[in-house]
Amino acid sequence: EIKFILTETDTSVANALRRIMIAEVPTLAIDLVEFTENTSVLNDEYIAHRLGLIPIRYCAPDSLRGGDCHGAFLPHRECVCYEKCPRCSVEFDLDVNFDRIVNDRPENERDLPFTITSADLKSNNEFVSPAHFLNPEEQNESHDTGISIVKIGPGQHLKLKAIARMGIAKEHAKWSPVAVSTYRFDPIITINEEACATLTHEQKQQLVDVCPDRILELDEASGKLMVARDAWETATYTEDLRVTQTMMKKREEDDDFVTVEHNDDKFIFSVEGTGAMDAEEILMSSLRVLKERLNYLLNSVETLKDM
Amino acid sequence: MNAPERALSFLLDEDNAEEKITYAADTKVSNAGTFTINKEDHTVANLVRMQLLLNPQVRFVGYITPHPLVHKVDMKIQTFSSIIAPVEVLSTAIEDLSGETDRLITETTDAIAKWKKENQSGGMGQFQ
Repeated sequence: EIKFILTETDTSVANALRRIMIAEVPTLAIDLVEFTENTSVLNDEYIAHRLGLIPIRYCAPDSLRGGDCHGAFLPHRECVCYEKCPRCSVEFDLDVNFDRIVNDRPENERDLPFTITSADLKSNNEFVSPAHFLNPEEQNESHDTGISIVKIGPGQHLKLKAIARMGIAKEHAKWSPVAVSTYRFDPIITINEEACATLTHEQKQQLVDVCPDRILELDEASGKLMVARDAWETATYTEDLRVTQTMMKKREEDDDFVTVEHNDDKFIFSVEGTGAMDAEEILMSSLRVLKERLNYLLNSVETLKDM
Repeated sequence: MNAPERALSFLLDEDNAEEKITYAADTKVSNAGTFTINKEDHTVANLVRMQLLLNPQVRFVGYITPHPLVHKVDMKIQTFSSIIAPVEVLSTAIEDLSGETDRLITETTDAIAKWKKENQSGGMGQFQ
């Protein structure tokens, strides 16, 4: 997850970036599933649907980071192969038979259902694997070994071959690399010194306390109202502050003691990935996608000019 | 059964010889015309429109997605003089946006590198 600040641009740029991050960044996801054996409680298409939603992580050969798969793979429709090839797809194998693994489990758990998770998917490309835990602590805390696909009991067997391809979320939401991608405006908090001078200490303390985000502080030495240092990050709700101020004002038309407005120029972005790509990679990839789109459009307009 | 192919929302329909962008000059208003951009949506259209608004040569610019199920954008541009055609203004705007994107890319890479150095995060990889 990353948070970053974008300045000196228009809302349309921020919105375009957000829309591209959600819908147009290419990622890998399972697209085709061939079932050899399925005696589990869920039917074939249900399991195939679940497999498609598993985030697939691509790590470039020289790094540990969840990287952009755009350069390493071709979209299937542009590839010359018939159905699959190493250039455009990754193959995953899954073969779990309850009766064969029952002896590997601890004694007290032998008759409990076994959860087939994303850890059981074996890929044929060493750089590609289903997204897993971030760090050892998280893995130890969790009860599962990965994203659970289906639970099987005695006598049940699941064997399948899945092919993952590259695509964008406009085609199907499984290819979306983000869980959350939002932005909000940076707040400008101005304190009207003259008006504040007319307030008593208790009133100032009341102003500080009424705001649930704590964007104001009372300076110990001078007794003046000041903006808290991390106010820009926490300020989301200002209704309480406004209501209290209208109550405190002697006349309706008086200036406010504290005004909070949004800065049209500065955006605080928050991007959280699904694990398929690191958040910085999503950002870089979305900028690259935007650039390609604009260049494509520019070339089309140039041909229009010549006509 | 009746649903159109999802991929058609962003790929040009080759079978029907769809072109990316077409232009129709406006008959009643001078120095104006409508561009129809196929297989695009608000992402790019709003961006281009805001950039065009900053241009003093542009008298009017607006865009609409005629129907959410039909993937195209109609953008109407009118300029002040007949010396500068709407096409010119449009291509200038897209060039400026492309330059701004380049600048964003370099500044983002620098900012990420700077943050990494300051935070010394060595283990950015994944644990299996």
